[in-house]
Amino acid sequence: MPRLLSGLLACALLALSALAANAERVLRLDEVAVGELDPAKASDYADSILMFNVYDTLVLPRQGGPGHTPHLAESWVGSGTEYTFTLRSDVSFQSGNPMTAEDVKFSFDRMVSIGQGLSFLFGNVESVDALDTYTVRFNLSEPYAPFVSALVRLPIVDKQLVMNNLGDGEGEMGDWGSEYLSQNGAGTGAYIVKSHNPQDETVMVKFDGYFLGVNERAPDTVRLRYGLEAATVRTLIAQGEHDISSQWLPPEVKKALAADGNQLLTEGGTGSFYFKMNTMKEPLDDVNCRLAISSAFDYESVLKLIAITDEISEGTAATGAITAGMFGAKPTSQALSRDVEAAKAHLAQCRHDPSTFSVEISWIAEVPLEERLALLLQANLAEVGISSTIRKVPWAAFAGMVENPDNTPNISQIFVTAVTGDPDTLLYGMYHSSKAGTWQSPEHLSDAQVDMLLDAGRAGETDGERESAYSALNDRLLTIAPSIYGFDSQAVFVARPGISVPALSDPNMAFGLDTMGFAFRLMEIE
Amino acid sequence: MNRAVQIILSRPLSIAGSVLIAVVVLSAAMADLLAPFPDHRGTVVDFSNFNQPPSRQNLMGTDLVGRDLFSRILYAYRLSLILGAVVLALAVPVGVTVGLVAGYFGGWVRFVLMRTTDVFLSIPPLVLAMSIMGVLEPTLTNGMIAVTVMWWPWYSRLVHNLTLAEREEGYVLAAEIIGASRFHVMFREILPNCVPAILTKMTLDLGFVILIASSLSFLGLGVQPPTPDLGSMVAEGAQYLPDSWWLTVFPGLAILVAVFGFNLLGDALREILGTEQ
Repeated sequence: MPRLLSGLLACALLALSALAANAERVLRLDEVAVGELDPAKASDYADSILMFNVYDTLVLPRQGGPGHTPHLAESWVGSGTEYTFTLRSDVSFQSGNPMTAEDVKFSFDRMVSIGQGLSFLFGNVESVDALDTYTVRFNLSEPYAPFVSALVRLPIVDKQLVMNNLGDGEGEMGDWGSEYLSQNGAGTGAYIVKSHNPQDETVMVKFDGYFLGVNERAPDTVRLRYGLEAATVRTLIAQGEHDISSQWLPPEVKKALAADGNQLLTEGGTGSFYFKMNTMKEPLDDVNCRLAISSAFDYESVLKLIAITDEISEGTAATGAITAGMFGAKPTSQALSRDVEAAKAHLAQCRHDPSTFSVEISWIAEVPLEERLALLLQANLAEVGISSTIRKVPWAAFAGMVENPDNTPNISQIFVTAVTGDPDTLLYGMYHSSKAGTWQSPEHLSDAQVDMLLDAGRAGETDGERESAYSALNDRLLTIAPSIYGFDSQAVFVARPGISVPALSDPNMAFGLDTMGFAFRLMEIE
Repeated sequence: MNRAVQIILSRPLSIAGSVLIAVVVLSAAMADLLAPFPDHRGTVVDFSNFNQPPSRQNLMGTDLVGRDLFSRILYAYRLSLILGAVVLALAVPVGVTVGLVAGYFGGWVRFVLMRTTDVFLSIPPLVLAMSIMGVLEPTLTNGMIAVTVMWWPWYSRLVHNLTLAEREEGYVLAAEIIGASRFHVMFREILPNCVPAILTKMTLDLGFVILIASSLSFLGLGVQPPTPDLGSMVAEGAQYLPDSWWLTVFPGLAILVAVFGFNLLGDALREILGTEQ
């Protein structure tokens, strides 16, 4: 009898604890490893998810339209080389310390001193002055039109907390708290880091003291897991044990999950997919050879390959070098298309004889879709008489290879997005001769006219000036064809029914900035 | 010969092994005739017909760029068999010579040769092949080199042990007494007595070489596209499980058939040649 009673008691306790667990809203999602938690080093998608939830920025992109709205700032004035921000006075860090102008100055100094991640965005900011507790001024060396948009990549860190946790390093500031911040959060964000393993999982919990308050239906706990296999994610979602997939799932898997009744979330308009041609190495140093390849490429087949359902695709037809919707982009009615005759005509004018060369097409090992795109391009080129080989390159090796034109493959495949949503951050890094030889610029392009137009685009004071500079740039890039402009990319995520993510499902709530849609505070779980 | 046929026929598993191997070898040899889409082993893409399940037109379905999986598996068999044959043709003579010399001479020669062999054996085979492929470019030839480097020590060990036993036999002593050269004793007297064991091991190994080569290409270190290869087919398809099951199941079965067939045949050979030890 006592045994029966204790059994019943145990069952009741189990049922109660299950109820308690149900009451907690848990969000489970995945990304590729590694998750870099230090906001000064954040660059890729996983890092940015962490950054936008643990930290806040002075401004945010406006939802559903162009422009920016104040966030940690209350307002700002300025143009040209001087911008002054008035900060909100009601913001506290997760540690309880109040957020002040000193923290903004410290965050900027820290980012630029460490010099990693997206710190290059602030290359022409000379200094930052804390004028009083809640006023801060940025001094620029020259006019930089996209400055305000760049601020979405300047997360504000808790100076006092970091100063208490400085590690060893050269100079007065030691390691600038790198070691501490790679394991702990020090932001004002709506989520607090509970545990963090960059190869495995980050667990975050809601921050009750968030200055904007957090929706009660937003997740209480978030589990961000790294490096799950596509087949694993597919099974977990089908079993209701995973909530949102990464965008890197193959289109077919997304299609199967959508057919099972899951939702497809989208984020687009900030980048494109490119085949990048090495303009410094034979035979693609000849513009006619490059134009032959651009004309031979089958733009329509790609769209079939990346379509997920009749309405949703991982991309739309490219119109040129600039993603549709940005300054200088062509209207969507002018989609690029295949022209085999033009390809043959260009090839005939190329000074290299196609029977004497073979081009190497590389693809990034972590992105299986690119292998298929490589096979498509190979078949397209074979049709006009160009032979080619395909080479799989791991991402880590690729970045090193492209530093030198001799080691850079003839053709590389890269997805590039504007990290701040502004075309400057899409195009400058790819095509300015001073930036040649990075993963974004395996073209090694050196063209005076392109450089001039890129500089004009970032210095333009009015939208009209910027539009005309980028429009001329687009024409020039179509004429000299350093890249095949494959398609305008759109990130697609699979989410379980019952998860509501307005920023990724309603165009009027979209941010126009990569990853910002993953602000957990704006999500709802039923 | 009659005894061999008798042994094979008396064991159903040996019959199965012989049939499987016959199927594998014939499909590889006659791929050009059997494949419904012979051009699909090369630079062909067809995005109007990709990722389709098995049908009358495509017996094993189509892959992610619209190529006929059945045709590609036939050509992949050809490649696997060539790879297996070349690897054994290179690894066996090296391994056998090292083993014979070490076993026959003994002393410091044996010490140096067998400790070198041990060094190779102490590294896990796949790790060794992976590090070689990491340094070299991933091509078919380099794949063969990598697998060869990890394979010869097994033959040294086998032949070394056999030689140790044989060198004390009366016929070896007799040959030495009448003044035969060391070369003659090793290769004309001892070696022929080791052949049955070597042959058995080669048959068993052919399956494992195919498996290791597939593992290498599964890891992206083997043959590069568009050349069809069983290991890379399985690797690509694994991401699309369970919906596009044909992408993984058929190439996986193809590997199974080849490895299993060679194993069964090896077992039968062991009995026929009397090398069961």
